[in-house]
Amino acid sequence: MKILLIEDHAELAASIAGYLTQEHYICEVAATFDEAREKLVLFTYDVVLLDIMLPDGNGINLLKLLRKEGVDSSVIIISAQNALDFKLTGLSEGADDYITKPFPLPELHARIKAIMRRRSPQKNNVLTFQDLTADLDSLECRVNGKLLSLTRKETNLLLYFIHNKGRMLSRQAIAAHLWGDYTDNLDSVDFVYQHVKNLRKKITDAGGQDYISTVYGFGYKFNAPE
Amino acid sequence: MKLNYRYTLAYAIITFFVLSIGFAIVYAALSRSATQATIGKLEGLNAVVTGQLRRGGSYAGHPSRANVWVARGVPADTARHAPLVRLRNEWEPALQSEVRMVRVTTYPVVRGQVYRVTSRAAVVEPRDAYLTGLMLVFAWTFVFLLALVVILSEVISWRILRPFTQTLRGIQQFQLSQQQRIALEPSRTTEFNVLNEFLLRMTTRAQSDYQGLKEFSENASHELQTPIATIKAKLELLLDSELTEPQLRLLTAMHDELERLSRINHSLTLLAKLEHFDTRPGTFTDLSQLLPATEAAFADLAEMKNLRTTQHIAPGVVVPLDEALAQLLLNNLLSNAIRHNQPGGEIKLQLTPEFLLLENTGHAPTAPVEELFGRFKKGNAALDSIGIGLAIVRRISELYGHRISYTYAEGWHRIRLDFAPVPAG
Repeated sequence: MKILLIEDHAELAASIAGYLTQEHYICEVAATFDEAREKLVLFTYDVVLLDIMLPDGNGINLLKLLRKEGVDSSVIIISAQNALDFKLTGLSEGADDYITKPFPLPELHARIKAIMRRRSPQKNNVLTFQDLTADLDSLECRVNGKLLSLTRKETNLLLYFIHNKGRMLSRQAIAAHLWGDYTDNLDSVDFVYQHVKNLRKKITDAGGQDYISTVYGFGYKFNAPE
Repeated sequence: MKLNYRYTLAYAIITFFVLSIGFAIVYAALSRSATQATIGKLEGLNAVVTGQLRRGGSYAGHPSRANVWVARGVPADTARHAPLVRLRNEWEPALQSEVRMVRVTTYPVVRGQVYRVTSRAAVVEPRDAYLTGLMLVFAWTFVFLLALVVILSEVISWRILRPFTQTLRGIQQFQLSQQQRIALEPSRTTEFNVLNEFLLRMTTRAQSDYQGLKEFSENASHELQTPIATIKAKLELLLDSELTEPQLRLLTAMHDELERLSRINHSLTLLAKLEHFDTRPGTFTDLSQLLPATEAAFADLAEMKNLRTTQHIAPGVVVPLDEALAQLLLNNLLSNAIRHNQPGGEIKLQLTPEFLLLENTGHAPTAPVEELFGRFKKGNAALDSIGIGLAIVRRISELYGHRISYTYAEGWHRIRLDFAPVPAG
């Protein structure tokens, strides 16, 4: 999996690249419009993460260029403008997704995963973690082959945990993932707590292990017991 | 009151005064000339009688003597008297009423004898005979003049004030956020040109100030997002390392505050954007579809608080609203209704072609009702919200001319959105 990150802000680029490398992606960074164009011409990438505010040119133009050249990479726009701004300015230049700064890194990871799934629908559509399996097409989750009756939100939450196993996930990041734009003025903390509680209960009731550990005051971590 | 009405009124008052004075003058002149004419006639009569006296002979039955009295042997010193004129009301037996009478007395000297000849006649008073006629003439003149003034002032002021009304229209259509200058037409009237120049200078300056401010606020909030993103990403990386409990707490607190900061920043940017969002006419949103969909998106959140939601939604309610903004508005309203509710409470949604009514149970707001729509006002201090949601809701409503109102009574919060009338056609 090759990812090109186009971001002029060196610090942020380093953080994102570091994170993605940890997740076993090959991540290259371009800091300017020209550099990005050069790289896109020379190499192919599965996913392009594009900051649309570049010092030497608008990222939107780069996106148009990509589409004109018929480059087949998926594009996730990184922007300081939120989804609503995009809708209001009528921006639909063929990006697959956009994510608003500041975003939790696990969220970015989940989005990349989702896009990759859409790109290659036929292979590897079952996520497995220990005794848990999640079918990404039918959205059925099983513990030791036994079907769990999860709500859509719970399924989504479980996938998010599996994608980001072994990481600290803040409650806010989880809320942003589950409810997107709706979290602006909600007591997301309580809602996340509820959902996590229900999910844990359903997994343990079905005889599965509880892989979710609470990180006091912050959020949760999903990992195999040592 | 319109300018030319004021002028017309002033002219009408002036005309009325002038005509009244004219009427008084005419009346006085008329009564004076009537008296004078009578006096002249009586003097003539006296002269005739004097002539008769000079000729001698008896004229006792003569018609000329009907209203003349002749006395002889008046003291001689009165012979030097000029003719005496007396005007007074007298009882007239023939008419059985008081009549204004003129008596003219002359003292002719006939053959060394001084006579006193007094004649009298009734004076026709204008008050009796001509007053109504006169009044009518003046009234009609006044009416005619007034009509003329009204019509002419309408026509003339329309012509003269046309540049002014155009300037007014230009001001009305002018918006600070527009790029081009204010549209004003030059006129031949000096004052209007001065006004236009002044307006042009003022608006151009305001526009450039506004533009600068807008760019500054947009840039500021936009540029803030990247550093916030960077700090957040680094914090997350740090949180994934081996940490002691106190360190973890500190980092978590930082993380939370950062989250808050970025949200405030987003909301403010959004508000600033909405301040100069140009509504495109002809954008409509079907609330009959959007509202249930939004409610469904929030269903699990409402469920977790054990809230009972009832909906009465009329089909086919399409109102002027941008789709994305409508979604934002409903999100804010619904999340507020959930947030400021007590566990086990209720939410009622009602949508008709005229209005949207959203009611929810909850504690009374601590802030005054009219301040709730202000920025950063919290209706309920117990909850940690940034209180900008309602400001956004109000701004969106204003953009499209919908009226939003909020009341609280007997444990129910009621937010009502009265839709702007859809223009015909």
